[in-house]
Amino acid sequence: MSDIRLSLTLYALSAEYTTGRFTLEDCLRKAAQMGYTGIEMVASQMVPEYPYPSRAWMDHFKELLAKYDLHPVCYSAYIDMGTHADRDLSEAEIVESTRADLEYASYMGFDIVRTQHAISPKIYRQMLPYAAKVGVPLTIEMHHPHNPTVPVWQEYLRIMKEEPEYSGVVPDFSIFAEHPHKLEKIQAVEDFGCRPEMVEEITARHTAGDSEEEMLQGDYTVPEKNYVKELFETYGDGHAHLEWLNEVLPYTRYIHGKFWYLDEDEIDRTIPCDKLLPLIKKAGYSGYMASEYEGHHFSETLNSCEQLQRWVNMSRRILASC
Amino acid sequence: MAQFQSYNKLLISAEEGIENYGLNGKILGWQFRCQYPSYRGTYLSCIHSMEVYLDGERVPDGDILFYLNGKEFLLSEFPDLYKEYWFILDKAVVRVQKDGGLPAGSSHRLLVKMKHLIPYTGYFGNYLVLDGSNEKMLTVAEKEEAVL
Repeated sequence: MSDIRLSLTLYALSAEYTTGRFTLEDCLRKAAQMGYTGIEMVASQMVPEYPYPSRAWMDHFKELLAKYDLHPVCYSAYIDMGTHADRDLSEAEIVESTRADLEYASYMGFDIVRTQHAISPKIYRQMLPYAAKVGVPLTIEMHHPHNPTVPVWQEYLRIMKEEPEYSGVVPDFSIFAEHPHKLEKIQAVEDFGCRPEMVEEITARHTAGDSEEEMLQGDYTVPEKNYVKELFETYGDGHAHLEWLNEVLPYTRYIHGKFWYLDEDEIDRTIPCDKLLPLIKKAGYSGYMASEYEGHHFSETLNSCEQLQRWVNMSRRILASC
Repeated sequence: MAQFQSYNKLLISAEEGIENYGLNGKILGWQFRCQYPSYRGTYLSCIHSMEVYLDGERVPDGDILFYLNGKEFLLSEFPDLYKEYWFILDKAVVRVQKDGGLPAGSSHRLLVKMKHLIPYTGYFGNYLVLDGSNEKMLTVAEKEEAVL
């Protein structure tokens, strides 16, 4: 029996937060008002003393969660491999930052830590006993351009199969994206100088199944050819590999419901949620699924809460009818 | 190429604009405020370059002082600052040393370019390096800021 609950990653409110329109408390209040029962926090975004949150700040954060009756679902951690100008992080540094993230997450009561693929299979396996010690599973996000067929992910999935207690994957819907969204098309025109009619033509040809090679031979400008390349990089041939769900769902502890833009009709034309959500429900997934609005990378003026509400309505509609 | 694009507007804070700063009645230069152009903060070591242009003219890096976390930095120090985190809501003060500053009430075209590395995006071994830029027309405030 599936029990899918909706959480909000506060990252979805980045436009309001970074410009000072929303404080952290405003973000939490909005989450509660929109009906979410859980939240995800990107520590490097919300913690003023990052990467070393003070006990005072963490206590304040816990009080805010209690005030708005929100459950701390996911503490999002990073493997900032490129921090040093002249070298990648050493194994010792990755271990240290992951250990610290697990401790902070445990103190604040989060269900899981979400880290990144760059942790490496060797260090991931090495850290799982520590995750058990502090009582917080250490999960890895699977995000485009990665997918279950990438060699490093075959290793991660094997580790998750062998040591399931404190491991897990967080699939991000970006791995299922099929078509460009409206904000991307606007950006191609307004920021990169593509002709609007050519953006429409290229998008239609991609959907119709024309190859990248054929399209790059077309009579397009340099920015338009870049748009062609971007479509193939981000959306492949325009058909989501729904079968990838079967490979990740046995180890899934949390889901990133990524989206960029929904129109008033509340249909996602980029990510096939109408196919994904019934499969997730049918597989019996129980846990939180985050609304991860990411249109803020393209426009900081759209109303993020309106976008979130549309996505929540869509998800509830699909889940109720399957 | 498309991700992060809309955050570039954070590079120049329109709220404070350009202000002169000084000490004991003498104006020592002008300044503006700057947020890191992303959804999350970063380490100063990930900023490869920051270029400031006033009315089309490049300000020499050596004239620039960068104030953050209660400290003062030279742009040339950035590669070493891997423990200096720039929180996304913190506005750094960028000062340009210039005797007399800029005439109060005058308008200027300020352009800031930042080349910065996203430290976590090594999906297949390559880091994403972004060329952010933002330009704003700003009026020099009457107010004279004290030395920090």
